[in-house]
Amino acid sequence: MRQFIRITFATLAALSISAAGEPLPTNMALIPATQYRVPYRSDSDAKVVEVKEFAIDRLPVTNGDFLEFVQANPGWQRSKVKRIFADENYLGHWASDLELGGADPRAPVTRVSWFAARAYARWKGKRLPTTVEWEVAALASEKAANGESDPEFKRRLQALYFSPACDVLPRVGSKAPNFYGVYDLHGAAWEWVADFSTAMVTGDARGDTGLDRQLFCGSSGQNGKDRSDFPAFMRFAFRSSLKASYTVPNLGFRCVQDL
Amino acid sequence: MKSIVILLSVLLQAAAFAAPACCSTNSSLPASAPTDKSIYQVETTWTSDLNKPFKLAQLTGKPQIVAMFFASCKYACPIIVHDIRRIEAGLKEAGITNVGFVLVTIDVERDTVQRLHAYREQRGLDDNWLLLRGTSEDTLELGALLGVKYKKDARGQFAHSNVITVLNAAGEIVHQQVGLNVEPAETIAAVKSLAKK
Repeated sequence: MRQFIRITFATLAALSISAAGEPLPTNMALIPATQYRVPYRSDSDAKVVEVKEFAIDRLPVTNGDFLEFVQANPGWQRSKVKRIFADENYLGHWASDLELGGADPRAPVTRVSWFAARAYARWKGKRLPTTVEWEVAALASEKAANGESDPEFKRRLQALYFSPACDVLPRVGSKAPNFYGVYDLHGAAWEWVADFSTAMVTGDARGDTGLDRQLFCGSSGQNGKDRSDFPAFMRFAFRSSLKASYTVPNLGFRCVQDL
Repeated sequence: MKSIVILLSVLLQAAAFAAPACCSTNSSLPASAPTDKSIYQVETTWTSDLNKPFKLAQLTGKPQIVAMFFASCKYACPIIVHDIRRIEAGLKEAGITNVGFVLVTIDVERDTVQRLHAYREQRGLDDNWLLLRGTSEDTLELGALLGVKYKKDARGQFAHSNVITVLNAAGEIVHQQVGLNVEPAETIAAVKSLAKK
């Protein structure tokens, strides 16, 4: 029994060491360097992008985590935040500036704007993931780094994305982690990314072509080449509907760190 | 004695209003304190095409017409600048000249101070115009505040939304003109209504 425990701990530790042999920050998982095939891109975007290795929070940022942040940074408290940085629903599910009330400290924090998420990440010495980084982490099923070849995983995801959002989000880490040891990338809250504003969607209709060129210079917005990954498309469409000051009941975030 | 005092105060007031139209830091100009909704609350430091450090709060005091662009943009940005000039012309006709025009580059790598200055010279942009560059993080934040989306493609060109924003004297967004070759009447009316307040 003791031997088993020792081996388990060694493996866990091994998984937390980066390629450079540096230990990872607490509660972060290593995503190794990889190449990512971009599903939603215009003709002038690269098809495949190189992604450097990075560390990602195993868990979404929780209400409890965010409470610590606003205690240390009063300017980000609900009654003090500047309206340009967060809309009037910011942290609406808390009882007050510094009281969670009925909000579960271990549930993902939601109703936070992009500005607020970014400020938290900076406070932690981290940053928000890019879309590509988030999607690479989310590609993994429980058993494989790339869940695209796992039809059962895909089916489960479709079911998750089609079911209505929970009124109350479950505690973080309550379900099985993915291959990288990351929890709650699917089926919990949507998550902010640093470059959400690069998702520029225009319509597919022919009549929209003129509209494309009026609204967006350069490429005519992005096309969805691979429609089979509907959850990815939903995430892409969702991101393109966001503005940085929006707070949404089921939109939270997590952080990454460069290695 | 009284007439000298009156004369002096008139001269002093005249001197205060003789400050250059653009980029004035003269605190005796009528300025609104940055409000909760003012984008001038961000403390980021930018560099103007005249190579001077610049904080957005320095724009306080008069309406500003703001757009994001990049110098090597071949299609939309020249139209955006042209659209702003139509607004400028319409305002001049209406007797409104106390307005600033700000272009902020999204191409932080290539649009150096020199490049921005050359852009100004080529298009004959006068003292009412200001061209700014900043860090990529600060530029992303400003884009987020203005609702301007942009993305660099594989060739280093940018796809970006075409938005012209009107800020009031306090730096609050009061109007946005979206698209290209848009008739400026609505935007001009928005600026006019600010002058009345």
